[in-house]
Amino acid sequence: MGGMSDQGLHVTGAALMATLMFTVMALCAIVFTWMERKVAGFIQSRYGPMYTGRWQGWAQAVADMLKILGKEDIIPAQADKGLFVFAPILVLLGSLLAWAAIPWSPGFIAADLDLGLFYIFAVSSMVVIGILMAGWASNNKWALYGAARGAAQMVSYEIPLALATIPVILNVGSLNTQDIVIAQQGGMFNWFVFHDPFLFIAFWMYFIASIAETNRGPFDMPETESELVAGYHTEYTGMRFAFFFLAEYANLFLVAIIASVVFLGGWWAPIPGLDFAPALTLVIKGVLLVFLNMWVRWTLPRVRVDQLMHLCWKVMIPVTLLCIVGSGLWMILSGELG
Amino acid sequence: MVQYFQDIYSAVSSALVGMTITIKHIWKKPVTLQFPDERQVMPQRFRGFVHNDTTKCDACNICAKLCPVDCIYIETEGKGKDRYMTRYAIDYNKCIWCSLCTENCHTGSITMSHDYDHAVYDRRSLVYEFMDPTEGKVPCHRATRIELGWWVEPKEDKSDGDKGAES
Repeated sequence: MGGMSDQGLHVTGAALMATLMFTVMALCAIVFTWMERKVAGFIQSRYGPMYTGRWQGWAQAVADMLKILGKEDIIPAQADKGLFVFAPILVLLGSLLAWAAIPWSPGFIAADLDLGLFYIFAVSSMVVIGILMAGWASNNKWALYGAARGAAQMVSYEIPLALATIPVILNVGSLNTQDIVIAQQGGMFNWFVFHDPFLFIAFWMYFIASIAETNRGPFDMPETESELVAGYHTEYTGMRFAFFFLAEYANLFLVAIIASVVFLGGWWAPIPGLDFAPALTLVIKGVLLVFLNMWVRWTLPRVRVDQLMHLCWKVMIPVTLLCIVGSGLWMILSGELG
Repeated sequence: MVQYFQDIYSAVSSALVGMTITIKHIWKKPVTLQFPDERQVMPQRFRGFVHNDTTKCDACNICAKLCPVDCIYIETEGKGKDRYMTRYAIDYNKCIWCSLCTENCHTGSITMSHDYDHAVYDRRSLVYEFMDPTEGKVPCHRATRIELGWWVEPKEDKSDGDKGAES
C-alpha cells in the first residue's frame, strides 16, 4: 500500500471494520433468532423450527428475514414522519458504534480507545433515545407506553450495569478494553469473576442488569405483548422493524461480549496454552452467555414495573456499590496495591 | 430490614429452582409429533375413515341398507352369477362413523381404518370411490382394489385393544 496516504489507510481500515461489524451484527440476528427458537422449543419439550433448511430448521431465520424485507413499509398517517424514520436508524447506530471498542483478539480492535469501556456505555445509551423517539413518533398509546417504560428501565439499569464494572476498572487501573483483557491472562482463575467474592457478585449484577438493558424477559416491560401489543415498535413494519430486531439481537450479543471481556477473560482460554483461537474463544464465551440469557428468559415470568424499579434502585445499586467498596478493601488487604 | 434480605434470598433461590427445572427439559426428548411425517398410533378400535376391500366385497347391499344416513352407494349390473359391482362409494360428508356397516358385514370387507385426517379443500373430494371407474365391469367376487393414496394400513398394535389409547 505504498501509494496510499496514512489518512487513506485509516479511512479504508475504518470502513472495512465497520462493514465487518455490521456483518457480525446481521449474523447475530440470524443465528440468535434461530437459537432462541430452538432453546425455547427444547425448554418447553418441543422441537422449534424443523423444516426450513432440512437440518434442525437452520434456515428459518434467513427465510424470516427475507419475508420481512418483502413486507410493505407503512408509516402511519398521524405519525411524526421524520422521527419515525430516524428512530430505527438511531437504535441500530447505538449498538453498531459500541462494537467498535470490542477487543476480538490481541491487536484486533476497531478503535483502541483509552476510555473504551466508558465509550461503550456512552454510545449504547443512544439506544434509549431511539426507543423513546420511536414510541413518541408512532403516535400510538401502546407505543408511547412501551417507549416510556423502555426509557425508564434502560436509564435505571444503566447505573448498576456501569457500577458493576467499576471493581474491574479498580483492579486494572485502566478503561481500555484491551488492557482489561490482558490483565486476566493465565487461566480461568485469573479471570475477574473468580478474582474475589465481590467481583463474583458484581458479575451476576452485571448479567441481571444486562438482561434489563436489552429489554428481554423477565424484564421485557417495553415489549410486553400481553398488554402493549409490541411496545415501541408496534407501528413499525418491514425493513424498519427489521432494524429494531437486528439491534435487539446485536445488543444481546454485545452485552454478552462485554461481560466476557470484562469478567470472563476476553480472548484468553480457560486453560493457559490453549489460546490458539482468541477471537473464537471470545465468541464462544459470548454465545454461552447468550444461551444463559435465553435460559433465563424462558424460565422466569415477567416482573411488574414497580418490582423492576424496586430491584434496580433498592437492591442492585446498593449491592454493586457494596461490591465496589468490598473489592477496593480486598485490594488493600491482599496487598495488591503494593 | 430482615424482610429485605429474606426477599433477596427467596428471589435468588426460587429463580435457581426454576432454572434447574427448565434445564432438565432441554435434555428430554420433545413430546411433539411431526405430524405429516409421524402419525399417532391410534387405539385398535378407533373409528377412522371407513374402508372397503373390494376384493372381498360381494355387493350384498347390507351396509347401504343399514347406514342410518345413507352415505354408501352401491351400483351393480346383471343378475345371479353374472352380477357385477360397478360402483362402491362412501360419502364422508354424511358418514357419522357409527360403525353399523362394519359390524354387520358378513364378508368382513368393510372395516374402520385408523386414518384420521379428514380435512380437504373441497367437500366433493370427501366422496370416495372404491371401484376404479376406468376398469368397467369387474366380477363382484374378484374386483380389484384401487390403491388409494390416502389409505394407511392400521399399525400392528401389540398392546391389548383398549389400552392402545395410552401409547
